[in-house]
Amino acid sequence: MTSSMAFLSSTPTKLPSFSPSSKTHFPINPFLSLKPQRYHFASVRAAEIGSGAAVVVEEKKDSEVKAAEEGNGAPVAAEVEEVGVKFEDPKWVSGTWDLKQFQKDGATDWDAVIDAEVKRRKWLEDNPESSNNDFPVVFDTSIIPWWAWMKRFHLPEAELLNGRAAMVGFFMAYFVDSLTGVGLVDQMGNFFCKTLLFVAVAGVLLIRKNEDIDTLKKLIDETTFYDKQWQATWQDEKKE
Amino acid sequence: MASITLKSFTGLRHSSPENHHSTTSITTLPKSHHRRVKILASKSSPKLTGRNLRVAVVGGGPAGGAAAETLAKGGIETILIERKMDNAKPCGGAIPLCMVGEFDLPLDIIDRRVTKMKMISPSNVAVDIGQTLKPHEYIGMVRREILDAYLRDRATAAGATVINGLFTKLDKPLDKYAPYVIHYNEYDGKPGSAGKKVTMEVDAVIGADGANSRVAKNIDAGDYEYAIAFQERIKIPDDKMQYYENLAEMYVGDDVSPDFYGWVFPKCDHVAVGTGTVTHKPDIKKFQLATRLRARDKILGGKIIRVEAHPIPEHPRPRRLAERVALVGDAAGYVTKCSGEGIYFAAKSGRMCAEAIVEGSENGTRMVEEADLRKYLEKWDKTYWPTYKVLDILQKVFYRSNPAREAFVEMCADEYVQKMTFDSYLYKKVAPGNPLEDLKLAVNTIGSLVRANALRNEMAKI
Repeated sequence: MTSSMAFLSSTPTKLPSFSPSSKTHFPINPFLSLKPQRYHFASVRAAEIGSGAAVVVEEKKDSEVKAAEEGNGAPVAAEVEEVGVKFEDPKWVSGTWDLKQFQKDGATDWDAVIDAEVKRRKWLEDNPESSNNDFPVVFDTSIIPWWAWMKRFHLPEAELLNGRAAMVGFFMAYFVDSLTGVGLVDQMGNFFCKTLLFVAVAGVLLIRKNEDIDTLKKLIDETTFYDKQWQATWQDEKKE
Repeated sequence: MASITLKSFTGLRHSSPENHHSTTSITTLPKSHHRRVKILASKSSPKLTGRNLRVAVVGGGPAGGAAAETLAKGGIETILIERKMDNAKPCGGAIPLCMVGEFDLPLDIIDRRVTKMKMISPSNVAVDIGQTLKPHEYIGMVRREILDAYLRDRATAAGATVINGLFTKLDKPLDKYAPYVIHYNEYDGKPGSAGKKVTMEVDAVIGADGANSRVAKNIDAGDYEYAIAFQERIKIPDDKMQYYENLAEMYVGDDVSPDFYGWVFPKCDHVAVGTGTVTHKPDIKKFQLATRLRARDKILGGKIIRVEAHPIPEHPRPRRLAERVALVGDAAGYVTKCSGEGIYFAAKSGRMCAEAIVEGSENGTRMVEEADLRKYLEKWDKTYWPTYKVLDILQKVFYRSNPAREAFVEMCADEYVQKMTFDSYLYKKVAPGNPLEDLKLAVNTIGSLVRANALRNEMAKI
């Protein structure tokens, strides 16, 4: 009973995420072409679970029927459809992106490939699909060259971090110079100043948001947590 | 000294010779002095007159069966208490190749030999692994009821007494060498009967009674975090079963499990489709639905014939040992992270604990002490700690999030990764590997993780 209630409560939450208007960038066509598939899927699903002897299966079937009866017309269609809709895109051919369709000025537009893959993954996160042996997905992100990743993701971030490091560095160099009279070149020769420089660079690299400080602390705890769990039995012996 | 007594067990004939070499080479001079002092200390324990050491093994699964056999072969009076002799334990049922050799398992208890695995990422990128396996290498799939019964029968043949009963509690001894009193309900074969209350005096107890161990409760061993594993056995049509002839599948993704994986494992004539989680236990049914959805095309037309679930420990209990009571197997919490493998470690820990008892009691002629049982813990931690730690790191890195899982599946396509994974899984040794290839692997791993995380950050912007 409680599991069927849980199932009932889970289906409504799924429905809002599947609003046709917001997320999808595809035209209406895919839905029309899916109509026959929808019914086929519904009958197949019944066959798969209808004859099961387990209690869980019967509960699920009951709750599915209940959901169909209780909802308005749209939710019934949406419940089956939300599982039956597949990812489709004219550029997605045989389980990978067809690079010939991404040509721009004679060269492959890698940014467009990255955008397309991002959309595909987002779609699949919201609408998980069955993995099919006849249509295997063979796309590997390593076909996108390293410089395309650099240009798009690393360079803007690097610019930001270098900017921060430069600002901190300039101010610190000025501050130390004004306090001690030691110029920039002489500062670099001093061990303490070198340490400060190292701390500044590490800080800029590791701490990009305020939350990162907590995240780092948690990560350090995490690396040694498992060891502590294993050593627990030996703490006993040391106490004795 | 240690290696000489070990060689006298016929049961150890098939244990790998490298283990002996490694234990003797690790004992450098100062350490062997330590060892000698310890042995002298246990030699001060009283010699038993007129009887042999009595040990009770609570629980008749792989851990209990292996422990009882080794104890009985070592000349110790052993009783094995099991509450359900035909128990079909919910279990993945996978055993590594080394277990077949180390425990002399006959090949007919292995239902299937899995030689291919398919890893499927959240975006359904599917990678086949197993091309690097040699023809004689495989992962054995067994039915737990068959394996457990076989090991118990071997224990009986070696001289142990197997009792069908339910262990209820144990009384701690009143002074140093006094016996433990165990209470159990002995079943007499009549269905539905509560059984006859029996008490028995034993000198030591091995708790092999699984994840919900009562022995562990009795000795205040402490709790562990555990995962819930939920599994449905589905009978699928023959043509679809052909696909799973020697192939197992692993599905990863937030929809399938936030911290574990969903699986389709072939069994004797059906498949087991399941998933597990530690952090989101109330949502387990939702995860199971998602797993079935991801495998839908391959299990279409199947009928669910059984639904089962069981807890799986995530790490060892805080106290695996108290006086002369030791825990082994799932009761101790010896399930690896990342893969959730437990059968081999249960059997091996049962055997190791029994060996420590036989050695400490000098084949049952002397009383054992806690120090003798601690040797089993020492040996276990030393031998298998690297394996557990590596799997923990893999779980922390690759099961963190969807991008990490995408990177994980991408990495599995690499042949070197496949070879290293199977070598360490099948032989339970963390193989060092080629340093140049390791470096390449590290670079590729970081590359995959960076790419997948970059894509995920873009996804968040949509």
